[in-house]
Amino acid sequence: MKLIWELALQGLLNGCIYALIAVGLVMVYGLLRVLHIAHAGLFTLGAYVSLVVTNATGSLALALACSVITVGLSGIAIYRFCYEPILSRPPYVVLIVSIGLFIMMEEIFRIVFGPYGLSYLKPPLQERFTILGTGITAAELSVVLITIVLFATLDAFNRFTRIGIASRATVSDPQMASSFGVDIRLIRDMTFFIGSAFAAVAGTMVGVLNNLVEPTMGSVPSYKALAIIVLGGMGSIRGALASALFLGLIEAFGTTYLGTLLDRDAIAFTVLLVVLMLRPAGLTGKKT
Amino acid sequence: MVSIKRRLLFIAAAIFASHALPAAAQDKTPVKIGFHAGLTGPAAADGLSAEIAVKLAVEEANKAGGINGRPIELVVYDDQGKPDQAVPVANKLIGDKVVAVISAGFSAPTKAAAPVFQEAHIPYVVAIALQPDITKSGDYVFRVGSMGEVEGRAGAKLIGDVLKAKSIVLLTIKTDFGKTVAAGLKGAADKFSFKVVKEYEYSPGDRQFGPMIASIKEDKPDLIYASGFYFTGGPLLSQIRAAGINVPFVGAQSYSSSKFIEIAGAASDGAIITNVIDWSGKTPQEKAFFEAFEKKAGFRPEAAGSQAYASAEVLIAGLRAAKSIDSVAIRTALAATKMHTVVGDLSFNSLHEVQRSFPVSIVKDGKWQSHGVIEDPVLLAPPTQ
Amino acid sequence: MSAYVLSIVSLVGINIILALGLHLISGLCGQVSLGHAAFYGVGAYTTALLAKAGYPIGLTLPAAMAAAAVAGFVVGLCSLRVREDFLAIATMAAGFIFLGVVKQNEALGGEIGISGIAMPSFGRDGFVALELGVTVLVILFCLHVRRSWLGFGFSAVADDDVAAQMVGVDNRAYKLTAFCIGTALAGLAGGFLAYYLRGVSPDAFGFTASISVLCMVVLGGMQSIAGCIIATTILTLMPEVLRFADNYKLLIFGALLFLTMRFLPDGLGGLFALARRKEAGPS
Repeated sequence: MKLIWELALQGLLNGCIYALIAVGLVMVYGLLRVLHIAHAGLFTLGAYVSLVVTNATGSLALALACSVITVGLSGIAIYRFCYEPILSRPPYVVLIVSIGLFIMMEEIFRIVFGPYGLSYLKPPLQERFTILGTGITAAELSVVLITIVLFATLDAFNRFTRIGIASRATVSDPQMASSFGVDIRLIRDMTFFIGSAFAAVAGTMVGVLNNLVEPTMGSVPSYKALAIIVLGGMGSIRGALASALFLGLIEAFGTTYLGTLLDRDAIAFTVLLVVLMLRPAGLTGKKT
Repeated sequence: MVSIKRRLLFIAAAIFASHALPAAAQDKTPVKIGFHAGLTGPAAADGLSAEIAVKLAVEEANKAGGINGRPIELVVYDDQGKPDQAVPVANKLIGDKVVAVISAGFSAPTKAAAPVFQEAHIPYVVAIALQPDITKSGDYVFRVGSMGEVEGRAGAKLIGDVLKAKSIVLLTIKTDFGKTVAAGLKGAADKFSFKVVKEYEYSPGDRQFGPMIASIKEDKPDLIYASGFYFTGGPLLSQIRAAGINVPFVGAQSYSSSKFIEIAGAASDGAIITNVIDWSGKTPQEKAFFEAFEKKAGFRPEAAGSQAYASAEVLIAGLRAAKSIDSVAIRTALAATKMHTVVGDLSFNSLHEVQRSFPVSIVKDGKWQSHGVIEDPVLLAPPTQ
Repeated sequence: MSAYVLSIVSLVGINIILALGLHLISGLCGQVSLGHAAFYGVGAYTTALLAKAGYPIGLTLPAAMAAAAVAGFVVGLCSLRVREDFLAIATMAAGFIFLGVVKQNEALGGEIGISGIAMPSFGRDGFVALELGVTVLVILFCLHVRRSWLGFGFSAVADDDVAAQMVGVDNRAYKLTAFCIGTALAGLAGGFLAYYLRGVSPDAFGFTASISVLCMVVLGGMQSIAGCIIATTILTLMPEVLRFADNYKLLIFGALLFLTMRFLPDGLGGLFALARRKEAGPS
């Protein structure tokens, strides 16, 4: 029984990380119908900025702020320079552009920071707590708290602020929103900023959890996040959170009980395929 | 006039010949050695480290007179860690007229290149690729890295004889290296009277091991053996310690990078591995290598770098002993190798797999330090077929 | 020709067969697949297992095509339930499941893979000749399909499958046919690859491989067979041409993908169309 409880906890923890990574992708997909693979590159960028600033100044808080701003602005730049001019093209064109961008980013990280990966000089958030009979590190606890706070804020922002409502209107019908005076470009910039900022937070936290930031750390999230947005019904933020947690749980229990049958990725994708066959529009999508 | 001219010519020719004759005996054209590894893409960390090491070995050999007076020229190609890139790379090296090749590539590219070199009768020294079938390509293929199966048996002796553990949990990384180490270790478990109570498998891409660790807590082992690399082992060990599991942690040479300690921090203290390098570096040769490598690379040599260096040492010694660049002579000289390298004394068996012992290393005061040796020629004999 | 040139040429041939298979599915029939490498893998593994068991190349290659086509039929059936981006992700899932099954299955060599496949009895040069001959046949076949009623149906489905359905084109049958033919070609390419590498290992058929085939097809311009062949040739030769810039090779590769699609969204095929229009003069 204790094992099941601990597995659930670990699954939810992994799910929180997946959620932080996937949310940006979901927001972009909802707005532009673009599979933004380069998002995983932004995740890695966030991890590197945080690590470099922390090692230079000793302050993780300052590093996180730098990381969020740098990555957020990079997100806007990617939208403006890479995606905006080709939005009218079929989605696979943007997909390949995004893949090309992601390969370039990984290579730039390798050339600039070396292939070996970097670690924190003084790893932050290493304190240990015991909560409900289970040991947890400060870093793990932070991941959970950050996920709760950020998702609650995002939800409130979308629901209650003018710009949030405008943003939701743009997701459901850009032309209509535009004719009601919504500045579509502003909404898109903002979406890329917020989505990328989430990726920066996720990258930072993964870097801290593993005490390792590698040029290739985005490669697993690059495809796993796609599974999450599909499971969540493409474009729904709440759906993404739910499916990220669901996937975390599936992987935790799956690798423990089916680990000799299939590996982690195959388990995750088998579930994805089954869900797609039963509900072709995703877990939370409307039935067709 | 004519006769004087003739005479002068004759004298000139004689002078030239008297200088040229020893020069002909002492050919100064470079001997080309090929080298391939994954220098970009996911294999780049090991590949670059190996490249530094092999270049170092070639520089030193050239300072010491090259191959019987002929300088060595190293021809380096990137296989990107991909098998379909390795076949053209191998053919290109053959086209470049290399006399022998060192591979510091991973298993898949090396496995694809080995038959190409075998058919071209070019001696091929494999530094780190551990796929078991590679040496079966033929008699021109040699392997300096110990097979996973052998390293697993060394690990079993370390667990049972030295650390006296009775029940262990095995964490296997899903690569050919992890699988073969696990097979060797499990095969020798009875002999060293311990039980593998449970085996878990994980992917090279995993960095978060929470669910696995939660389950290990229930198993209550007195030792954890985990195959993996510094980038999986570092996070794994720190998460194991953070979860309050304090039993010994044992692994293989693939953790020997100082990155492993950097990542795991204080949690790495007491971790034990079967290594390829004796960190105490007793001989001047080893000390010189450690210093020269660190100066060039900026970090201490790890398993990939050391084994690549040892491969170059073996090959250069073989070329010197062969006294010619004839492929059969080189192959015969390599097969007769019995020498001390930076990874210890080594020789090859009939399948051209390496026979050697395993120095044991432990993390103490934030550094890998020497911790005895696993020596047992019978137990550590590589398979012959 | 030197052995090096031959080895490059055979790799180009294999990649052309592989890419043309995806071209039929994604380019002609409009079903973007992120899991093409899985069928490449099915073909390679089928060939490897049969060749190890002693069967000749005349049997292993057709078997590879058949096995891949069966796998393609199953995935195609599943794909009928989902559309567009969902389809892309579903095919990606199929790729990961293939990899998971192979890696965990000792009978398929697991992580260690299969090695020691003998060259066919007619030797290396004969093998290259056979492979290039088959490549030409595949190219001719694809050109023929495009001009046939089948190709017409494919394009109708690609343009607008709902509309195609309404005018009486059975789009399910067309999609399934495209999947079967395209994956059979992938299986054929995989069969050649198994002989080329003298073995197989699972990592050659992962997500990265699927992505790189898709890049060949998209870079070629989705609609154009000539574009697809040229793009495949360029992308296959690139690592060789860029040897001088080893450290920046992948970076240049990424930049090429990025810049081409960003500034030439119709790919190389689009470039030809543009050139033709210019030639025809202003109209």
